[in-house]
Amino acid sequence: MPLAFLAVLLPGLYWDRPVDTADALRKAGIERLYVPAGREMLWRELGFPATAFDRAHAVQAAAPTVEYQMDVASATRVPWVDANGWRFEREPGRSFFYNASPDSAALAAAEAFAYGVDAAIRAAPEDLAPFGRMVKFLGQIGQPGLPVMANIGVIDDGSDAMAEVLNLLARHNLLFRVTPAVDPKYDLNISNVPEAANPYEFAMQVRRHLTDEKRLVRIYGSNVVLVRMTGDGSVARLHLLNYGKATVKGLRVRVLGSYKQGKLAAFAHDGAALGDYNMVDGATEFTIPELGAYAVVDLRD
Amino acid sequence: MAAAAPTALAAKDRKIPKYRVVSHYQPAAQPGMPGPYRGQAASVHAAKCIDEATEKPNPDAVREMMTRGMCALTGDTDVRDAWARLVSPADIVGIKVNCSGAPGIMSSPVVVAEIVRNLMAVGVKPAALWIYERFQDQLDSVHYGRYLPEGVHIWAAENERGSRDSYDPATYVETELFDEDDTRSNLIRLVGSRFTKIVNVPNMKDHGAAGVTGCLKNIAYGNFSNVARSHSGTETHTYSFIGTLAAVEPLRSRTVLQVMDGLRGVWHGGPFSPNRKFRFYPKRMLFGTDPVAVDRLLLDIIDDKRKAENAISVWDRSPKHLGTGGDHEINPDVFQFVREPGHIEYAAGLGLGVYELDKIKVASVEV
Repeated sequence: MPLAFLAVLLPGLYWDRPVDTADALRKAGIERLYVPAGREMLWRELGFPATAFDRAHAVQAAAPTVEYQMDVASATRVPWVDANGWRFEREPGRSFFYNASPDSAALAAAEAFAYGVDAAIRAAPEDLAPFGRMVKFLGQIGQPGLPVMANIGVIDDGSDAMAEVLNLLARHNLLFRVTPAVDPKYDLNISNVPEAANPYEFAMQVRRHLTDEKRLVRIYGSNVVLVRMTGDGSVARLHLLNYGKATVKGLRVRVLGSYKQGKLAAFAHDGAALGDYNMVDGATEFTIPELGAYAVVDLRD
Repeated sequence: MAAAAPTALAAKDRKIPKYRVVSHYQPAAQPGMPGPYRGQAASVHAAKCIDEATEKPNPDAVREMMTRGMCALTGDTDVRDAWARLVSPADIVGIKVNCSGAPGIMSSPVVVAEIVRNLMAVGVKPAALWIYERFQDQLDSVHYGRYLPEGVHIWAAENERGSRDSYDPATYVETELFDEDDTRSNLIRLVGSRFTKIVNVPNMKDHGAAGVTGCLKNIAYGNFSNVARSHSGTETHTYSFIGTLAAVEPLRSRTVLQVMDGLRGVWHGGPFSPNRKFRFYPKRMLFGTDPVAVDRLLLDIIDDKRKAENAISVWDRSPKHLGTGGDHEINPDVFQFVREPGHIEYAAGLGLGVYELDKIKVASVEV
């Protein structure tokens, strides 16, 4: 059965610079803009579909990146990842604003796309070209209308402690959805975080309760690649977001379930294909030869 | 030699992680480790094998050491016969060097060149010889190519640190050690897909986590990805992880010879060697097929040297000697981790060789 594709919700460039930058935008392949209120007409006259974006009422998203805190003693050598997936899950239906630091605009676009959120991304001028290439790539791969897949249901109490737990669950690829009540379709439901709990320890307890064997997705070969998964059991899409600056070589992915076919679309790696594809022990495994900022893998049985 | 190592320490109070070994390779009829010379080693000393002032090896002395050592190990009188017991002309041979301490200490290019010469003497073609290491930058720093015949491959698994494309996704050890997300350590792909034999060339080194690093550590951590995860805080899982990795097929079956290069040694601060004051000169090479037996000898070599320097033993587990902030790099009485020299005895328990000193037959040779 062919995948049904939704109207694609692409992230937009938030551009508050003068209109004499229009040529730079065209050169970067930027076709659509979010602009401060009152400037829409100026840009439309130059041929840009422009929409007013009220950044003050949008949820602020962090510039996606990795921080290698080498001078800080820690329990593990895992770098800190600034990612927004948990935030998107927590505030569905909201618009998000990124003030993207240099080199992060393309990844921000991919992140927002992966989670299907409306996002305006303020990019540095030097990031226009990669941002434009990413948006073009996102438009090409489309967005199949598949439900989000998760192992864990989270009844969010809105607390700061829960925010950190959500962040850590996402950070460790423990796929979750915020749910209003306990839902038996999840392998595990969590409803509150003890006040005195260490969020990291709590997240690790969740992992142990769930068990790695039941996890929908496992990632081997990087600790800065985060995953979003959609699917219906017969088809699935994995969004793989690489928050590190370096291309990841030989990333191994394990997906629970047997999918006979897999297709890779990797940003900036045209023609790349999945390697060492196999189905074993009720799971499907494959290797992504090179992962830049973003890739999607479409699986079907 | 020192008194018997405190074996009782090795087995007690260790939490052994749950390991899942995945490999479709079958063991050889006689696995290379411990191989035909289980519980044996040849120990060759040559006073002139290295100039301590310049740290320059003497190729003639190294050749004599290798000839005498291989003959002492095998009982042969012609060194070609000794090598031919382990390697045939049709083999594709990986030579696992250790470059982590370069330029202070590494598998000496002179030693490696002599191994290559011996392998070629029994008919192995240069193109069937692979000098290999995990990290490209470390390997490049040694410049083996200057010492080797045309055609010998010099290859590293990770031309960028962390890249996994040269590892076999179907051969790995899965275990969670410190909450890490990536719970797999994969075997270098060439070990299964290309090499038919492996010669292991470790050094004589102290090791901040494992106590010492010799045959087992070099063949285990030097052939698998994602192994640094075994240390965190002051704790390390080297006790059981090293042997577990070394026993994975086909690594275990194909590693047919241990040539421990002890022209130089490191008695503290290993596996690296930025500080020359912690280097010493055993001027010794050990030969064997049993990595446990050879490493058991190494344990005493390193610990004897530490005692001679009035430094704490590799067996010391006292928290009072643990330190952070780099003190361990300059002070031999400070350890970064609670060390696990018991990893050698643990490996013996996996069938990789003989640990008890009184059961190891050592052929001592003076050149």
